[in-house]
Amino acid sequence: MVNLTVDDKQIAVERDATIYDAAKAAGIRIPILCHDKKLHPFGGCRMCLVEVEQMKGRLIPACTTPVSEGMIVRTMTDEIIKARKLVLELLLLKHPLDCPVCDAAGDCDLQNLTYEYKVDANNFTDEKFHWEIDYDNPLIERDQNRCIHCGKCARICDEIVSYGAYSFVNRGIEAKIGTPFDGKLDCEYCGSCISVCPVGALIAKPFKFKARWWALNKVKSVCSYCGTGCQLTLGVKDDKVLTTIYDEDQGFHNGQLCGRGRFGYQFVNSDERLTTPLVRKNGTLQPVGWDEALELISTKLQEARKNDPSAVAALATPRLTNEELFLFRKLFKDVVGTDSIDHSAGYAHEALTAGLKESFGITASPSQIVDIQKSDLLLVIKTDAYETHPVIGFEINLGVKRKGVDLRIISDKTGKLAKLPKAVNYLHKPGCELLLVNALAKVIVDENLAAESAAAITGLDAYKGMLAGVDLNQVAAVTGVSLESIRELATAYAKAEKALILLPIGLGYPGHGKELAQALSNLALLAGKIGQEGSGLLVLGEKNNSQGAADLAIHPTAGGRDAAAIIDGCASGAVKILYIAGENPVVAYPDRAKVEKALDNAGFVVVLDLFLTDSAKRADVVLPVKSFAEKCGTFTSVGRHVQRIRKAIKAVGESRSDREVLADIIARLTGEGVAADSATLFKQIGCYSGVNYDALGDAGAIYPVNVSPKFVPVVGSVPATEEGKYALLTGSALYHCGTMSLSGVGPMLVCPEQYIELGRVDAGKLGVNDGDRLKVRSASGELSLAVKVGLRMPEGVVFSPYHFADASINSITSGKSVTWVSLSK
Amino acid sequence: MSNAPAENATAEENAPEEVIDLAAANQVIDQYLTLPGNLMPVLQGIQEEYGYVPKPAINLVAERLNVYPSQIYGVLTFYAQFHLKPRGRFIIRVCVGTACHVQGAPRIVDTFFEKLGIGHAETTPDLRYTFEKVACLGACGMAPLAMVNDDTFGKMTVQKVDEIVAEYNQRPMK
Repeated sequence: MVNLTVDDKQIAVERDATIYDAAKAAGIRIPILCHDKKLHPFGGCRMCLVEVEQMKGRLIPACTTPVSEGMIVRTMTDEIIKARKLVLELLLLKHPLDCPVCDAAGDCDLQNLTYEYKVDANNFTDEKFHWEIDYDNPLIERDQNRCIHCGKCARICDEIVSYGAYSFVNRGIEAKIGTPFDGKLDCEYCGSCISVCPVGALIAKPFKFKARWWALNKVKSVCSYCGTGCQLTLGVKDDKVLTTIYDEDQGFHNGQLCGRGRFGYQFVNSDERLTTPLVRKNGTLQPVGWDEALELISTKLQEARKNDPSAVAALATPRLTNEELFLFRKLFKDVVGTDSIDHSAGYAHEALTAGLKESFGITASPSQIVDIQKSDLLLVIKTDAYETHPVIGFEINLGVKRKGVDLRIISDKTGKLAKLPKAVNYLHKPGCELLLVNALAKVIVDENLAAESAAAITGLDAYKGMLAGVDLNQVAAVTGVSLESIRELATAYAKAEKALILLPIGLGYPGHGKELAQALSNLALLAGKIGQEGSGLLVLGEKNNSQGAADLAIHPTAGGRDAAAIIDGCASGAVKILYIAGENPVVAYPDRAKVEKALDNAGFVVVLDLFLTDSAKRADVVLPVKSFAEKCGTFTSVGRHVQRIRKAIKAVGESRSDREVLADIIARLTGEGVAADSATLFKQIGCYSGVNYDALGDAGAIYPVNVSPKFVPVVGSVPATEEGKYALLTGSALYHCGTMSLSGVGPMLVCPEQYIELGRVDAGKLGVNDGDRLKVRSASGELSLAVKVGLRMPEGVVFSPYHFADASINSITSGKSVTWVSLSK
Repeated sequence: MSNAPAENATAEENAPEEVIDLAAANQVIDQYLTLPGNLMPVLQGIQEEYGYVPKPAINLVAERLNVYPSQIYGVLTFYAQFHLKPRGRFIIRVCVGTACHVQGAPRIVDTFFEKLGIGHAETTPDLRYTFEKVACLGACGMAPLAMVNDDTFGKMTVQKVDEIVAEYNQRPMK
């Protein structure tokens, strides 16, 4: 620790702190424009100039000057005020001062400091800038005339996002923030640049002219897209969510958001929202009152409850709150008496609910998101971890670039993570993950690199016995990863003091199921990587509450039908009543034609959703439910993090929350009312008994788990290949999450339709370019898809995301990890 | 911002994509691939080969050196030594520094503009001439001063402009 005095206050801070940090710790605010706590110090704006007794004669920038023992700092003298005023005058000299029409007004650091330092006149005059304003971009509007050259946008895009959309271009007075060749901005649209812009040079276009900053009500919540669980602040006015607001002190991610989190909020107040319950009468869905709809559902369920509970099945989206999932399970398991409940097509949660359940005795990951930056070596399965969970991707970027984390990727494509400094991408043939993971374990055993702790874990002998049968040469030949690479990776993983494995799961990744999770658990146990900080296994659940759905056991636990069997049951007539809370099986589950037929065949289908989805269109009753912004409750994100969401706006139309609907149905069935408030329900959830709801606050809480490890040998098999065809992989597009982002407006502006991505060589062979169309034919169907040519896909392998309802990829896939397709123009 | 060199300020959105042979650029990159801080020598090498830094070469450098295209563009526009457009066979530079200015440099510049049909930092369509106004060439005693490639022409007059252009029109392009 270093002792120093700031404005007569004695303070001790860490050795690597700057004067700015020290002042902040002492509660003294030094004005800044170019500094951001998440970025490397820059020292460009000169607003933070202070006086240091030992460095008399000039003013010192607080944000770049490290503290030293005995330093005496003054942050506010006449000379400092004069210097800061001068800085502001010079900035205002070129600034257009169009504050009345600037969306940043009220939230503008330049405006606020100008006011604070009373800069009401300028000693200089000069011509203003006349840069052309970029209105073309659908999400980010760039007005270089307002720019004060703090460089934060370029720095955050480089340091955290690792995309590098901007840079300073030109020199001297001509300098500005520019894109390559001054072209159109074409980036990941995460909007991080907007969030850190201290003025209105970068603004969120969807929010332009929507509301003044000071008229917005700011409500803290949690993002409702992926499982990362980013905290966000909603900007609300007149019961409408108008924007998301950056708060650098929110969450482990310091307010960083991805594109869907920042720009995907518009589904909340979409005109497409359902507003009244609908009941099918004479073949069409017609608006009815709540009572009629609920009575109809209750009557049907009551009949089934008495006669044949097993004919009832229910699917819930892992986007519901924990409290809603609790009531969902209560209704169907306890009241109706069916075990046929599930979510995420059954396979997309298996890694947790079946895989880790057997390997660790828990349905959650033993590690947390914050372990990423604490690790020495990260083993990421698929570079898609960036696409499925972009903010976890930022954590990986930061870990690699700031903390020197050794990044290893086992992937079937060369994605963005592979471009990070010193990252090693082990590119393998599609569907070979399990083989590779077992091969790594075999090397660890063969070279005596196994941890001593492994000996005490049940099943080691059987596991070693299984590994003995692994032929490394064969694995190398089948996977396309050389024997040396396998050896090198296994050794690096085993020898790393702290090593963390990341496994993204989800509907787009049928191969990332129970077995892969177990193989990875075995590997981590063998190398002794479970149970210490910065080490272990992190399974990245796809949706905002995937972890909650696993915790609350929204899957069959007593021999009931899983999601696939429920769909089959509907088709065969065994399932007569299907209750679908928010899932969209028609678009998201494998084999669209089969799902459509099943829903048509089921006797009575209830769908609760925000929108009239392709699944809802086939229902007998459709109920409008509230979005995350209209209700209270908790979500559990990756790494067992329980966080609260808060009601920000009134219900849209007549919509009710799933919680209210479920409580109502339970009351109608049992004749007894149930408590329906979040606090009471949360306290009834057994697995969260260690979490105090009232103390959750803004930060949330991580519930503890006890790992009881076990080796569960899983044998990999050589994936089938088809000569002359392309391997089609499905997955997540960076801008989307599930099917909800389709209504999010923002994501659709930058990624509007189903596409097929292929490498340059294949594109050349097929004679296609970006934007052309290709016929994609599999055993089960054919689609015409837009072509996207990129560097990610290796030869013979193509990719398509699963989110889209039109030309949905599940019309040609059947739930295998690889679908073989032929491509033609 | 009228003083910005024309080649930086105009975005060529509608210009057809350049087609060039990247073999030479690949060779330059190969040469410096493992050198730390290799961006400058690579860009200089590419300019040496092509006479300017073509856009496809920038994309290639970005891909092979794993540097953002935006940062390369930033470097290229920062240093006056780099050119993003093809340059003429003969670079005409006229000093507009103080000494040359008072000796009538503006008239020399205007005469060149008129004769060549191009402005500052522009190149004739036949790629014979590129014209540049420069701040000082370090020979104020010879003001007003012009240079064509490495040849110096002191005490410039309007008549001399005609002579210079006439002479260089005769010179071979290779």
